[in-house]
Amino acid sequence: MVETLRTHIDQALKSLSSVLLGKERQVRLALTCLLAEGHLLIEDLPGMGKTTLAHALARVLGLDDKRIQFTSDMLPADIIGVSIFEPRESQFRFHPGPVFTQLLLADEINRATPKTQSALLEAMEEGQVSVEGESYTLPRPFFVIATQNPSSQFGTFPLPESQLDRFLMRVTLGYPAPEVERELLAGGGTRERAQQLEQCLTPPQLKQVQEGCRQVHASASLIDYVQRLLQYTRESEEFSYGVSPRGGLALLRCARCWAWLAGRDHVVPEDVQAVLGAVVAHRVRSASDLSGHEGERLVARLLAEVDVIGH
Amino acid sequence: MKGGLISRTAVGWQLLVVLLSVLPHMEWLPLWVPALVVSTAGARLMIHSGRWSFPHWSVKTALVIAACMGLILSFNQTAGPETMVALLVVGQALKLLEIYHRRDALVVLFVTLFVTATTFLFNETVWMAAYVFLVVTLVLAAMNSIQQSDHNNLYADHLRNAVRLLFPAIPFMLVLFFLFPRLEPFWSVTLDTGQAQTGLSDELSPGDVSKLAQSSALAFRASFSGPVPPPEQRYWRMLVLSEFDGRRWTRPALQVRRQLRTEKLYPLVEGQNYEVIMEASGRPWLPALDQPMKAEAGFFMTPVRTLRASQAVDRRLQYRLQSVPLYRLQPLLTAQEEQRYLQLPARGNSDSRELARQLVADSGGDTSRVIRQLMELFNREFIYTLEPGRLGRDSVDQFLFEAKQGYCEHFASATVFVLRSAGIPARVVTGYQGGEWNPYEGYLQVRQYDAHAWVEYWTPGSGWQRLDPTAAVAPERIRSSAQEYFRAYENRFAGAVSRLGAGWLRDLAQRYDAFNYAWHRWVLNYEGQQADLLRDWLGGGEQWRQVLAWIVPSAMVFGGLAWYLMRPRRASPRDPLERVLQRLQQRLSVLGNERLPAESLSMWLRRSADDWPRQKGMLLKLALLDDRLRYAEQADPEQRGEMIHLSRQLLRELPRGKRHES
Repeated sequence: MVETLRTHIDQALKSLSSVLLGKERQVRLALTCLLAEGHLLIEDLPGMGKTTLAHALARVLGLDDKRIQFTSDMLPADIIGVSIFEPRESQFRFHPGPVFTQLLLADEINRATPKTQSALLEAMEEGQVSVEGESYTLPRPFFVIATQNPSSQFGTFPLPESQLDRFLMRVTLGYPAPEVERELLAGGGTRERAQQLEQCLTPPQLKQVQEGCRQVHASASLIDYVQRLLQYTRESEEFSYGVSPRGGLALLRCARCWAWLAGRDHVVPEDVQAVLGAVVAHRVRSASDLSGHEGERLVARLLAEVDVIGH
Repeated sequence: MKGGLISRTAVGWQLLVVLLSVLPHMEWLPLWVPALVVSTAGARLMIHSGRWSFPHWSVKTALVIAACMGLILSFNQTAGPETMVALLVVGQALKLLEIYHRRDALVVLFVTLFVTATTFLFNETVWMAAYVFLVVTLVLAAMNSIQQSDHNNLYADHLRNAVRLLFPAIPFMLVLFFLFPRLEPFWSVTLDTGQAQTGLSDELSPGDVSKLAQSSALAFRASFSGPVPPPEQRYWRMLVLSEFDGRRWTRPALQVRRQLRTEKLYPLVEGQNYEVIMEASGRPWLPALDQPMKAEAGFFMTPVRTLRASQAVDRRLQYRLQSVPLYRLQPLLTAQEEQRYLQLPARGNSDSRELARQLVADSGGDTSRVIRQLMELFNREFIYTLEPGRLGRDSVDQFLFEAKQGYCEHFASATVFVLRSAGIPARVVTGYQGGEWNPYEGYLQVRQYDAHAWVEYWTPGSGWQRLDPTAAVAPERIRSSAQEYFRAYENRFAGAVSRLGAGWLRDLAQRYDAFNYAWHRWVLNYEGQQADLLRDWLGGGEQWRQVLAWIVPSAMVFGGLAWYLMRPRRASPRDPLERVLQRLQQRLSVLGNERLPAESLSMWLRRSADDWPRQKGMLLKLALLDDRLRYAEQADPEQRGEMIHLSRQLLRELPRGKRHES
């Protein structure tokens, strides 16, 4: 049973990697994030394959996906939906917006105004939307992949810390390696290929996998290690502020999924280290540079300083 | 705080502690010194706030020269401790003008600590100790404040830090207090603080003792190891006066005193032990209960059996003594000695001489009858009062035949005069009589108003005997105390004595005195108790035991401290598996495979396995087992044994030193 699930997942990983060449780690992180039932933020320059990744994930997992391109004149109703008066029935009827889907790709989220951003983020957090006093539950699973340009670019509204915290992970794709890029150039566009990917996992199977991830064992020594990591972010002078308990829980949840993907029934420190950057980097601020671009450096510091084995 | 600049809070602290440290010296410092301190403190404030600039060097030089001149003039070119402390205070004040760096502020604070310590040269009371403790705490806070960064610079934080630093010091303080040997000071400090100390002087003229009786200042305290003698036996001898010039009684001249024979004492009963804590009197004579048997080391017994210290008593002094209430003193006198105690001025006081002749004639030459008649006369016609009026020339005549009232010195003086005129060797003894019992700490407190003068006369065979004419006039004075006597008999007397009138006030005063006594006995003069304590603890008072008692605890304390500071950063774990794994880590790290903090043990073992092909199997096995033990759900206890075994085997097989590349 578990073996079949694992075969499916491996198949999914292979499919995804065939579309996003040379990005095995990011693909795996994205899948981990999904298994951990969290939302993913992909931050990179335009044209790095963010949208391709989102599409490919939706195809491979057989999820119903919609896409919103965020713009600065967008209103919350454009995401959530509107109630429109039906003259025939002489009452208002709710027309659901694009948010009513299983996998939502929110492209360039930081182009929208804070008001619109927060409408989406609220939906992400609550799993439901409220329109004119009525609550509408979003489908399950509900998974948001938001992409954004680095906030130092023009015409962007950077997400505030409180909303960044809603994203379980933040990954950057980065430029491809030279040989991969050569292959990419030779092979033509990848977006079409993403459309042709086959479904590897049904939604019930996805649910089973998520269940399996929750069962992964985290021993006392491992939890100690995670705690020491969190403690360091709070005590070190390099950090302007530390990781919240929610961030800590997210870290452990992701490490469990990563371990499951690696085929283990228990978490080892390497699992934590593998997801640490993606989970923690957007939740911390450097004390010396408040622009928020030092996250990776801080994570590197965290890895180097905190001993896996505490005495 | 780069460059050692000083925050505003720190300046506030510095000025506060400087002023507080000088405050106790105010009473004896020449007025310009505190004035200088206050003005430099003000200048410091102006400089710090940027309103003034730092003074030019010429200004500072001028100030230094002026201050030195001032010191020389104020202290009459004497280099006593007062001068030195004043110099210290002046330096402290002037240094305030040139605090450029943190280092300068530290200098000021160190000098402040020193000035604070010198407070004890002048005042050793418990209140001063409490005050000094407070100032030291504040100085610590001030030191703390100059090390703190500019922001978050709060007075309360510094104070809290200081207290937190002081608390761990308390055990050390107690250990040092109890065990540190009290060394004799390397130098002797004589203090003349200019305060007039009250006490008996070495001569007695009419009015001397009654003047003392106005003072309720404490003279000394005495505690007894046995039963306390009844009031009528509490005669505290201090001086024996045998020379009379018609008005004053004095001791014999120095050359005469040197030639005196030490009087022989034959105790008739067992002696009683007691301890006296003497207040500063500015004079060397010490009270001793009639009659002292032997002087403690460091004190002298004069030929006339009074006690004296080697120098004037400038601060509280504690000594032990043994006295005997019943005795025979010097049963035999040489003719020369007898002559000395019969010596009288050639002329004057003729009526008194006549009275003596008459008494001798009436009693047929019997000494005891002469005395009885004289005492009866006193009892019949004389009044005991503190205000006897002035006596002119022929004071004895005036007293005996005109005034007929007087204080103890008048009676003693007249009695000796009459006895000598009657051919009976006699002398005046001054000291204290009585004392008030303090029930809270169990000691007798004797105040200046207990000062007394009485008489000793000599008869062949019996030797010197005590005679107190005051007892004949006012027996209650002897049985109770001067204070009670005058309260009962002279309500109009409104000196210091009656200040202790109300019962509860008196009780309060006694408690307060008991507290002071305990402070002196157990803290200031702990030396004696320390010797006892050490003897009890160590089973003997020899030098080597004391040295051991000092060395062993300090070795333990410092050893513990050294261990704490120098212990390896990662203490060896208790668990045998963890211990052997740690050894393995150390070994491999020496061999060039150091574990990075981010590496788990299993990962590091796997990495190392590539470098050690022969041990690869074992290393990988150990990695697997460790991974399972630490992180898997079901831990197998047998697995630990296997891991220990594997690690030991690895330790045996791996080389001890650096690997040689072949």
